[in-house]
Amino acid sequence: MDAKRLRRRANTALVLLALVFGLTAIFLLGQSTQNSDEFGRLQGAILLANLICAIVLMLLIIGNMFRLFKELRHKESGARLKGRMVLAFIGLGIAPMVLVYLFAAQFINRGIETWFDVEVERGLGDALELSRTALDQNLREELARTYRIAEFLPAPNDPELFPVLAELRRETEAIELTVFGEHHRIFAHTASTADVAMPEFPDKDMLRQLAAEGSVVRLEPVGEGGYQVRTLVALPAMRAGFRVHMLQGRFPVGEQLGPLADSVQQTFTRYSELSYLRDPLKQSLVLTLSLVLLVSLLTAVYGAFFFARRLVSPLESLVRGTKAVAEGDLDTRLPETTRDEIGFLVDSFNDMIVRLSVARAETRRSEQLVEAERSNLKAILAGISTGVVALNPDLTLRFANDAAGRILDTDFSNLTGRTLDEAAADKPLLKQFAEAISEPLSERCAVLREQIVLSNDQGRRVLICSSAALQGGETDESGVVLVFDDATALLQAQRDAAWGEVARRLAHEIKNPLTPIQLSAERIRRKFLDAESGEKAHLLDRATHTIVQQVEAMRDMVNAFSEYARAPQVNLSKVEINQLIVQVADLYPSLPDQPKLVLKLDDNLGAIDADGIRMRQILHNVIRNAFEALDGRSDGVVEIVTHFVPGEHGGQAEILVGDNGPGFAEEDRERLFEPYMTTKKKGTGLGLAIVRRLIEEHGGEVSVSAYTNDTGACVRILLPVENSKERPAAAAETPLPRERAG
Amino acid sequence: MVKTIRQGMLSGIRMVLMPAMMSVLLLLPAVLSANDGLFEVRSASTRLNNGVYYLNATIDYQLSSQAIEAVDNGVPLTFDLEIEISRSRRWWFDPEIAQLKQSFELRYNALSRRYVVLNVNSGEQKSYSTLYAALADMGRLVDVLVVDTALIESGVSHYVRLRAVLDQQRLPGALQMLAFWSDGYRLESEWYSWTLND
Repeated sequence: MDAKRLRRRANTALVLLALVFGLTAIFLLGQSTQNSDEFGRLQGAILLANLICAIVLMLLIIGNMFRLFKELRHKESGARLKGRMVLAFIGLGIAPMVLVYLFAAQFINRGIETWFDVEVERGLGDALELSRTALDQNLREELARTYRIAEFLPAPNDPELFPVLAELRRETEAIELTVFGEHHRIFAHTASTADVAMPEFPDKDMLRQLAAEGSVVRLEPVGEGGYQVRTLVALPAMRAGFRVHMLQGRFPVGEQLGPLADSVQQTFTRYSELSYLRDPLKQSLVLTLSLVLLVSLLTAVYGAFFFARRLVSPLESLVRGTKAVAEGDLDTRLPETTRDEIGFLVDSFNDMIVRLSVARAETRRSEQLVEAERSNLKAILAGISTGVVALNPDLTLRFANDAAGRILDTDFSNLTGRTLDEAAADKPLLKQFAEAISEPLSERCAVLREQIVLSNDQGRRVLICSSAALQGGETDESGVVLVFDDATALLQAQRDAAWGEVARRLAHEIKNPLTPIQLSAERIRRKFLDAESGEKAHLLDRATHTIVQQVEAMRDMVNAFSEYARAPQVNLSKVEINQLIVQVADLYPSLPDQPKLVLKLDDNLGAIDADGIRMRQILHNVIRNAFEALDGRSDGVVEIVTHFVPGEHGGQAEILVGDNGPGFAEEDRERLFEPYMTTKKKGTGLGLAIVRRLIEEHGGEVSVSAYTNDTGACVRILLPVENSKERPAAAAETPLPRERAG
Repeated sequence: MVKTIRQGMLSGIRMVLMPAMMSVLLLLPAVLSANDGLFEVRSASTRLNNGVYYLNATIDYQLSSQAIEAVDNGVPLTFDLEIEISRSRRWWFDPEIAQLKQSFELRYNALSRRYVVLNVNSGEQKSYSTLYAALADMGRLVDVLVVDTALIESGVSHYVRLRAVLDQQRLPGALQMLAFWSDGYRLESEWYSWTLND
């Protein structure tokens, strides 16, 4: 954070620096345009200011570029847009600038060129030549005058020399006349002014020329724009022996000619100087222009970065905000920016986020409400003893409560989403259940009310099942909810109670008169049998015998009923069922005209949880039934077969008692186990009913089928090997008929 | 017409290229831009007369071809003789006691075809038929008044130093930028120093 602030401050400082130097450069440039000399004087400062400005800008640009590249490499939001904008701005800025620069450079070049003209130059040259020509005339005159003076002069040693010289100077209007001797010796000197300065001795050039030509005349510039004619002639005395003896004269240039010639000279000089300086001037101007261009370009580039950043930054934060919102962060608020469309966009974005977060809060609240409802429902569903299974339209499992799992002996927790058939692969109860309901469900019968009988190695279960269509959610297709109760115990108890009541009444109502009837019959027989003889005695004997016998039979029947009604509670213990069967079979000895008893026992079948006494009773009942069915047949065979049927809860013991008797009619099989159902000539019809009651007390089941090839009968008994007595269908709640009977 | 414009454009481009080339030149070692001009103090001495020190010196002025061209085209050149008198100190910077500058202006007079040397300090002006004569005469300094003994602390060693410089500040503006880049106008002698004798 601090580093960032520091960087920003450094940035601001650099920008200010660039601004200051840039403005300085522009100011100096403005000053220097007044004239080229000013420009020359200031150009160092201008260069420096421009250079510093350029360097600072360069630093800023490099920093910005580095930043932009970093952002591009990290794929930060807005970086690409920024890059494009920078390029566009730079392009927009540079193109006109370069164009203007080229035109300005050309303009400078041509503008300066137009100052100069060959004609003017030639004219000036001619004017200068004219002046020289005019002055040459003057020079010649002055030389002639000097010669004349020389002729008048006496010898150097003559004391008259000075007065003569002074006189001659006055006459000829010379400025100065001097007679020189050897070794810079001055013989005489006269000057028009009171100038005490020493006369100037002729230089080597003059002396050389004098020696060669005998005279020298030349024009010399003097002071500010003045000219003098300087002449030097050898004096006659020089010829007469004085080795060096000469007269030097200085004469003014004509009053009109002098200033005019000087004016021409100055103009010519000025023009040739300007002409000479035009190239350096052009170069200087273009160089300065280039520098200004450089600074402008750099400013434009920096400006491009600056404005791109300014323009993109709200968009950047918008992109960041959108990303944050997309990731679910609704607390994002964008900083207020400008009052333009982008600012409006940012405001709208903020509004939208507020609304979204409000909406989300509401959704969450209602979700929580629904969730609470759902968990309530779940708790209720988990608490009830009724099984509830919800199916999707495609018959996959959507939900099943604990009770359903218990009733169908299935752990539903990880079966959600699978079809019932898939789930039921190794679960017999669920399989049967699925089979039972598949037909009505596949027919789209929305409401179903059925009693379903399931069986497994723990016994049989009767379910009362109803279904209802579920309200479809988003789709029109609706699922199905199946509600079922395990009514096994309830139904059984109801039936048992009903039959127990009937049996008890029967026994009570019938048993009481039986004894007086029997006693009466026996008394009649004793009293009258001896007294009678012949036909009468025989009749009496037969009749009383019949009465006693029938009463005896009736008593048996009544006893059987009361036994059924008593429906004893079983006392489970480990019973070796095979041994028991052998023991029971021993009671049926093999006689010539009796059916043969054949045992086929499975050695794998060990001890099972059962009540030994009741099991014996069951076996007797069943075997007796078979023997009775085979009564009077010499080829009768009764076969007892046992099997161990492996299963989930310790397996089942299967006992099959088959005979080759007449068998049962198909339509009777369902009701064979109801009391008073018999197909035999004699019998109470309670045998199989008792068998079934006892077997159900054991948690087993019994069924009847044909023995082989539709002949004969086979009673199939299935008993659980391990009987936990925890039968889910609330066996304990069922009131035992005996108790009620008491 | 077209040709003129094209020429204009061409020269425009040349004008653009020129600074670029000049900046390249700037980066090259100074040796490459052969400096044929040279200022050198050949000899210099001071003599005391009536409590005043006078300077006698001989300076060799050799102008570069650029400078000669400039003079011949009417550009006046100013030469500065910088004279400094300092007291020798052992442990600290030597304090400067007197400093004076003799300036000479050299210009070409086209009308008389003569080179004029103006002593800016005294206003004395002389003309020469050749540039060399003008430079040679300008380089001959005879009895130039330097400093009064009142300023000189007796018993302490003093020294004088002298150098000749072409004054770039007095060049015409357009040339100053050239002078900035090129060595042709960067003419100055080494400092020549000697002890101020009593």
